[in-house]
Formats: sequence, structure tokens, C-alpha cells
Amino acid sequence: MSSHREAPEISKDPVADSTDVYAFVSPDKPSTVTLIANYIPLQGPAGGPNFYEFGDDVSYEIHVDNNGDGEADVTYQFRFSTKLQTPSSFLYNTGPISSLSSPNWNSKQFYSVTRIDRQGSHALGSHLPCPPCNIGPLSTPNYEAKLGGPAVRSLPGGIQVFAGQRAEQFYVDLGSIFDLLDLRPLQSANVFAHALGLPNQPGVNATNHLNVHTIALQVPIKQLARPGKPVIGVWTSASRRSASVRGDAGEPSTASGPWRQVSRLGNPLFNEVLVPLGKKDYWNSQVPAHDKQFATYVAHPELAGLFPVVYPAIPPGSAPFANLAALVKSGKARADLEAILLTGIPSGIIPGFTNFTGATQADMLRLNTSIPATPKSSPKYSVLGLVGGDPAGFPNGRRIADDVVTIELRAIAGLTYPLVAPGYVVDPVVSKLTDGLTGNSVANKPKNVFPYMGVPYDGYHNPH
Amino acid sequence: MTVHEDMTAAGERAVRAMQTARTARLTRRVVLRGAAGAGLTAGAVATVASAGSPALAAAGQQDDAAAGSQSQDAGEAGDAGEAGPVIAHVRNARTGEIDLFRGTSQVRVHDTALAAHLIRVSR
Repeated sequence: MSSHREAPEISKDPVADSTDVYAFVSPDKPSTVTLIANYIPLQGPAGGPNFYEFGDDVSYEIHVDNNGDGEADVTYQFRFSTKLQTPSSFLYNTGPISSLSSPNWNSKQFYSVTRIDRQGSHALGSHLPCPPCNIGPLSTPNYEAKLGGPAVRSLPGGIQVFAGQRAEQFYVDLGSIFDLLDLRPLQSANVFAHALGLPNQPGVNATNHLNVHTIALQVPIKQLARPGKPVIGVWTSASRRSASVRGDAGEPSTASGPWRQVSRLGNPLFNEVLVPLGKKDYWNSQVPAHDKQFATYVAHPELAGLFPVVYPAIPPGSAPFANLAALVKSGKARADLEAILLTGIPSGIIPGFTNFTGATQADMLRLNTSIPATPKSSPKYSVLGLVGGDPAGFPNGRRIADDVVTIELRAIAGLTYPLVAPGYVVDPVVSKLTDGLTGNSVANKPKNVFPYMGVPYDGYHNPH
Repeated sequence: MTVHEDMTAAGERAVRAMQTARTARLTRRVVLRGAAGAGLTAGAVATVASAGSPALAAAGQQDDAAAGSQSQDAGEAGDAGEAGPVIAHVRNARTGEIDLFRGTSQVRVHDTALAAHLIRVSR
């Protein structure tokens, strides 16, 4: 997955587990960017009676670096608190929830937003309501009109904010990929699947009909980027207090001490696919400015060496990944991946494009805010983003529908290596690498307006 | 200087200030009273408070003298209550390394006698 359950420790702490980060120039408000951080992965919509909520004991943050040093220059901090309307009831709701203030809604969650920058800490909003989870047509009728939509709030400075449940928009054939790197559309060439006689098949979106919890901000670009420096780096983090003691006999737990970062996410799949298992928890504790220590895993990705092994010569003599195998064997550093994921792409590599932030190696989602959004109706629009000829998509930031799995599979398999080694010949099979999914693999599509994430699936119709 | 550097520097200054101002006063008795005032570290402190250990009593008398006054101890306990609970973590009983978590601060003290006592009474 992008970053769902990607490290041993955070996989046991879903409330603090970041799943995806998106950053894009808002297509309907081009003077703003939209920043989205998703948490709490793989929510079965019918997961009652205690439906999903943000952690009251977690500090959620979205960071922006605007000078390329991998440190946050602007941080938006979100803190949540839950209030029970009727503590004597075991129910999440005691009747239809027809508004955000409905007395039938037992467990309400509110949040505050604080901006931290060079000038200090600025409270932007408090007691902002989250919408309830989407339970079903009896409990949450007219969900988006009555609950989801009204939870979009305005903050000072022309900012919009939303925090609450949304439909998972990231698509991936999880069940196949982590079954020994099987890609269903190509699985007759997978050495293990071939042995079982499995034919090529369409991909299956494992995250379809599941929900996440979204924190979304729409911020004027001028509040984030420096004049003359349109590229920003974006990531999210979640932190918990250093020490905690579980309450005794029903008393609340106690937490104290400094906040410690337990989760972070910039580029999709970075920690999940590139960082080795023994380092993943440590990676989650670090800030991007210190990512040089992980650069070797980008320069020499384990996955690149696996493709030729798992997809060997089937039929005999075909050697689909021969050039990739030779590249891996050469031991040459993947400067293309280092640029895409750690520094941004310098100008002069791709005509008319750059999202370079400087020499500091840092895993951030880099967005050149001077590049306008590509309308979906445009022939230039591509969910493959930059490698598909669309400079408004990943790795120039990341839009909700971008096919980051296919992009990164192909990039690691050598598609982008000619950017730094023009003589390298990409294996023809690389252009066919995919898990077989597109944005159409998602049932509840992205909205056209903020917060853009789709309407959450309800439990009644999506019981799994 | 970036925001993180600012925050890190501010945090380090706060810790240094706490250490400078308090470590000298953060004697065994003060630590335990502060913790008890916060309702904290609970098991260990409650045990200590009820243990009536002669060693602790003796240490307390010495600490009172060192701290200068009883009211100062009470003040520390009051502060702990206002800042929320205090959690103590004996990191290394041999070296006496103890981390104290209070509010959003963390202070490390070295007190082999206190560490040994906490270990002893928590058995």
C-alpha cells in the first residue's frame, strides 16, 4: 500500500498510522494548494458500534518546507477531542443523525487547528466539528449534504479545512502484490504463478469500499511558498507523548512528556517499499532533513533486483528484465530515483519542468506550485503524471487519482533511468508493468470540490 | 533558523532551565512528593509513601536541609499538580538514571540512591 501499516510498530497503532499524502494546485481555486493527509487505514464501513475516530491523544501535523532544507517552515497542527452526548447509552447514535449538532449523535469529535511558523504559533480554529462516520441510510441519511459538506469550515486567511471520514481513494492490488510480487495482468510470467498455471487476469482493488480518515487543508499559495521559490515540500507526521500509564479500574490513561513522532509520510511507498524492515520504525521517527541516511535504499532499491528474479525468462529466452538485471548487477546508483524522491528533478532534465529543492536529500512530496492543474478533460491529463506527460501529477506533488503504484513500479524497473543515463535502453516490458488498476477501480470517486476525497462508504451497503 | 530548529532550541533551553533550576532541588523527597501530588507514577510513589522506609525518612531529613524549607517542597508538589501527572522511568538502576516526564518536558536526573529505592519498593 502507499503507507498503510507499512512499519511494524505503526501497524499496531492505526489511529496514528498515516496512509497517504496528497498535495496539488486546487483545480477549482488555482491560487491555492490542497494538502491532504489520511490516517486510520482499511476501515471496514460497518465497524460499529465504536466507529472510527481520530486519536484524542495524537498530535497530527502537515508540514511544508519552502526553502529546501527538509525542515518544516510551516506546520499545521491538528488536535482532537471526543465528547459523549449520552454516556449512559452504548450506541454511537440513538436516532438519525440529521446534522452536525444532532442530539442523536452520541460520540462527537471536535478539533483545533494551529499554524506554527517563523513568527510563532497561531490558533486558526477551535471546536471545529468532524462529521460522523457514514453508518447507513437510517443513521446518516443524506450524508454528504447534511454531514460531510457542512463539516467543511473556513479559517482566517482564506483557508478551508476538513477532518473526518472519507472513501479511500488510493487503489492497489494488495492481495496480489504482496503475494510474491504477483501482478495479475502479467502473472503468467511470474515464476511462482507460472508454476501454478495461473493465467493473466485483471487487477483487483483491495482498498475498494474501505474508508480512511482525512485531514484536508486548502491554503493560498502565498501563505506557503516563498516569493520566487514556487516549489514546496510536503509531508505529514503523527506524534504521541513520550510516556503513558494505563488507567486503573476505568480511570482514563495518563500521558506526559514531550511529543515523539511515530508516523510520517511524504512520497507514497517510500517507507513501505524502499526502507528495509529493520529500519522502518526508525524511519518513522525521523524528519526529512535527516533522510540522507536512507539514500542508499533509494539508490539501490531491493525491488529492482527482484523483478528479474520473479519474472525470469518465460517463455525461455525472453529475459524480460535483462537490461534492468544488468543495471542492478553494475551496482550503479539510481540517480533518477534519488532525484525524484529525495531532491526533486533539476531543471534541464525534463523540458520545461523542475521541482528541485536543492541538494538536501529529504523524502517530501515536492510540488511546483507555478504549474497549473491539468483539467481532467484535457488530453494532457494522465493518472501516470509526469511519466505520462502530465506535469501537474506525481511526482510533481500528488493528485488523488494518480496511479502511484504503476508509476513507481515502472520507475524502479528502469523507466526513468534514461533521465540520467540517456544511453540506457528500458526493457520493453516495463511499459506494461501495472497492477491493472486505474481511478475507475474506485467505487466512490473523488469529489470535484474541496476536500476532493470521495464520500465515505456506509456500513449498511458495504458490510464486507 | 527553521521552525524545527526554533522548536528544538526552545525545547533544549526549557530542559536546561528546568535542570539548572530544579535538579539541585530535585532531591529524592521532592521527586517523590511531586509525584505523589500529581497522583502519579502511581504505584511506585504510593508504595514509597506507605512504606515508611527508614532510609527514605533519613534521606528526607537531609533533603529538607538541602532544599532549605518545607514550603519549597510543597511548592514543587503543587507545581506538579498544576502541570498534570509526573511519570518517572528508572532507565538504569546501576547508574541512577531516571527520566521524569511532566507536561511536555522530560528531565533526566542521576540519583543512584533514589533509583535503588524505587526498584526496591516496587518489588
